[in-house]
Formats: sequence, structure tokens, C-alpha cells
Amino acid sequence: MIELDNVSKSFGSEKAVDGISLDVPAGSLCVLVGTSGCGKSTTLRMINRLIEHSDGMIRIDGHPIRDFNEVTLRRRIGYAIQNTGLFPHWSVARNIGVVPRLLKWDKAQIRERVESLMALLGLAVEEFADKYPHQLSGGQAQRVGVARALAADPDILLMDEPFGALDPITRSGLQAELLRIQSRIRKTIVFVTHDMDEALRLADQIVVMQGGRIIQQGTPTQILAHPADGFVETLVGGRDRGLKRASLTAVGDMMEPIEQADDPPAISVARTDSMRLAVSLMLWHGVSRLSVRDDNGDTVGILPLRRLVDDVG
Amino acid sequence: MGGLRRYAPPLVWLLALLLTALYLPRLEPFFTWLEPDRQTVIYPRQSFLALLIEHALIVAVAGTIAIALGVGAAVGVTRRAGEEFLPLVSQLASIGQTFPPVAVLALAVPALGYGAEAVIVALVLYGLLPIVRNSLAGLQAVDRGVLESARGIGLSPWQTLVWVELPIAAPAIMGGIRTSVTINIATAAIGSTIGANTLGNPIISGIVNGNIAFTLQGAVLIGLLAITVDSAFSRIA
Repeated sequence: MIELDNVSKSFGSEKAVDGISLDVPAGSLCVLVGTSGCGKSTTLRMINRLIEHSDGMIRIDGHPIRDFNEVTLRRRIGYAIQNTGLFPHWSVARNIGVVPRLLKWDKAQIRERVESLMALLGLAVEEFADKYPHQLSGGQAQRVGVARALAADPDILLMDEPFGALDPITRSGLQAELLRIQSRIRKTIVFVTHDMDEALRLADQIVVMQGGRIIQQGTPTQILAHPADGFVETLVGGRDRGLKRASLTAVGDMMEPIEQADDPPAISVARTDSMRLAVSLMLWHGVSRLSVRDDNGDTVGILPLRRLVDDVG
Repeated sequence: MGGLRRYAPPLVWLLALLLTALYLPRLEPFFTWLEPDRQTVIYPRQSFLALLIEHALIVAVAGTIAIALGVGAAVGVTRRAGEEFLPLVSQLASIGQTFPPVAVLALAVPALGYGAEAVIVALVLYGLLPIVRNSLAGLQAVDRGVLESARGIGLSPWQTLVWVELPIAAPAIMGGIRTSVTINIATAAIGSTIGANTLGNPIISGIVNGNIAFTLQGAVLIGLLAITVDSAFSRIA
């Protein structure tokens, strides 16, 4: 668990971060979101002491971070950044294994760990282990970056706009991947982005920052439903936010039970799909009812158009 | 076998160099044809092999010192503690390059007297510049994101330098060393004018006595030495 208590950072007379307090419970994913220069990256980098905080207290599992040697601290915290920062002269396997090597694991143990992480991130060992970073696509390089961050099995993962430089399709794929991995490994993650859609999709807890201060923090649903001010409302998309909220709701939570006499509609969605997708299908096919299928393809419910305007959320 | 093939060109040049140094006197008929009016057409005072060895030694000693100082200075001023000196060092490196080597020699003699020491000092000063300049360029070109992530995942400053910065900058640094050493192989010949024994001896003696044969013998050996070393560098760098 990470606690920031009234933390500030000044560069000269300018306050980049101004008295922020924040708790990130163990195993949760906290997204810091805001425009450029709002202090979100500075906040992230204070946690692993790439930047030293000027005031206040940062604790990890109850211990002030200044009690740790900074190099030791960083080896316990995974770190992934936008342009991956992979070492260009090292193979993929060597890049992933760098922190275990720093921690003096034995060779067999490192190789085993690297291979299991490559499997976790969907990188075939035979194909990628000996490649160099310049031979990878942006998405593959970022997977390697995330694998490297996870290599020594740290409890905490800091991610600074890790998917920021990727095309929308690759980014969306990696977001889904991160959620899948997080559901298995349950790390304490602090994730920085300027993309509110990304924040809404990934976060357990969203922290909106502006001018070095926290404007609002809460769950994605809370932020959408009750934006603290005009700025947050703009970030969540103003009048577009109905669709954003729909994208956070699963079809399975809104469907009605199927009745025996019913003839199920031809167009169907999966119960894990978002309501946003359901709306899109209705608009596209010009229908007011969809069948809902489970993972096996069996129809398990019906989603009628009127459910959308009944008490959503 | 792959290794042998890779190093074949510099080895062939080295062989050519050694054979020439040993058997140049056998070409006496050729040099007599070149200088028909002279009694002595093969440089007599030292053996070519002895001159070659001393020449190479002077360049090697100067090169080693220049590499240590040059790479050291570039590493120093790219650390946080040394960054104040970065503009000074990079300007010195550019200005120094405009000094002719003869001028450096002329300045070294009053300080160190005649002999190999003064030549080595002059060669170090002159050879430092390409090394500093290239090392600086190489180290400064290392991607910021790479450095940031090296720190962020917990490499110590020393590990960052040795595992990341130097290997990434290595091609640029090697390029500077190659230029420096190759230039100094030629420049070392001027050392003969201040009392060091180098392959410049036959050249200077040939110029002074108007004997083209001596000059040609020194020049051919210096050329072969430069080609051998350059060819060796092109295989490692």
C-alpha cells in the first residue's frame, strides 16, 4: 500500500505538486489523470524517488520511503514508461531479466522467470527472446517493458503513460491485457495518463489532477456521475459521458431474464460486453432488442432498448 | 574459422608490414635505380624493425594515455557532478583540433626537452581531441528514456555507465580512438625532429640529404603501419 500525506514538490519557486494526499490500497489500480504539466508524472516519480519530494511524507507499507536506500527501493518497485526505455543493445530476454540480475538471482532462476513472464505477456519465447528492441513493433516493445517491470515480482508497479505512444487498436489491446494480468497478479499499480477513457477503463480509483493539486478522486462511476467541477466534466467528455458510463457497465448487469415463449433476437452480444457496444449494435442494426450470450454461446438473457433509459448505474 | 576470416585483412597487412620492415634492404637494386648517384641508398643508422617497434610503442603509449584521459573527461563532464565543465571541455576539444601538430611539438620541447617523452606528450594532446569529441557525442546521444528507465528500475550510477551508456556509445568512442591513433601514427614521424627514434628518421634524413630513397622507405613503412592499425580497428569497431 502506498500513502502520500500532504506531499509537495517545488522546482525553484514553482510548485509542481502542491500538498497532495492519496492512499493507494494494496492490490488496487490507481490512475492519475490530467493535462500536461499537472504534476501527475512528478507525483509518480516521487514514489520511487526519481524525484525527491520537498515536503510531506510518502510511505510504502507504512515505512517512509526515505528510510530505504533509493537504489534498493527502486529494485522493489516495477517501473514502465512511455517509450519503454528498453536497452537497445540487449536482447528481449536480457532486458526482461535485468532486475533479477541486479538482485543476483541465479541464472536458471532468471531464465525461468523471463520465460514465464514472456508467456504471461503473450510473447512467444522462441520468437522473441533473442530479438533486439529495434526489431519489435511498438506494442511488442511495450509488452517487453511491462514484463521487465514485473520481473522481480515487485508488489508495486509504477506506469508512466505506458501506452501513450501506441495506436488506438494496440493501446486498447494492451489495456485489456493489463486488466487481465492485474486480475491474476493483483499488484498495487499507480498509472499515469492524460487519456480519461484509459483511466475510466483501467482504474479502481481515479485521481484527477490540475495545477499540482488533486481536483477529485473516486471510482470511475463516481467521477462520471458527479464531476467535481467544469474541468473534470470536460475531461470525462461533457455531454458524451452517457456513452462513457455505458462503456463501464457490462451487459450482463442490465439484461432481463429470457422467457420461454420469447423468440430470441437474431443480433446478440456477450454478457461481458459493455452497454456501449450494445447501444452501437442497436443503432447499427436498427433493432430495439438484443440476445445476450454467455461464454458458451448459449442465450442467457434479453436486452431491450428501454433498459438503457431505466436506472442506468 | 569465422574469427580467422574476420581478422584476415589486418593480419595480412601486419604480415606485409613486418616483411617490408625486415626485407626492405633487399630492394637495394630498386633504390639504386632511384638514386643512382649515391653510395648509400638504404637508411643505415638503425634497422627498420627497431624504428618500427619504437614508433609503434610511442603511438601505443600516447594512445593509451589519450584514451584514458579523453574517455575519462567525457564521462566526467556527462555526470551530474561534472556538468559545469561540459561547455569548457567540448570547446577545448574543438579549438585544440585546429592546432597544427608541429606547433604542439614546438611547445612540448621547451617543457620536456628532446626525446620520446616530449613526443608522447604532444601526441597525447593532439590525439585527445577526436577521442573527447566522439566520446561526448556518443554519451550525449544515449536516449533519455533509456537513462530514465535505467535509473527507475534500480541501476546504480556506475551500473548505468558500464552496462548501458558505454556500450551504447562504444561505436562512437571507437571511431574517435581510430581517428586519433591513425592521425598519431603519421604525426609521430615529426618526433624525429626532436630526437625520438621513429620511422620519421629516414624521412627527415632523406629530406635533409636530398635522398628520396630514405624518405620513401620511411613513408612506405608508416603508411603500412597506419593501414594495418586502421584495418584492425575496422574489425573491432
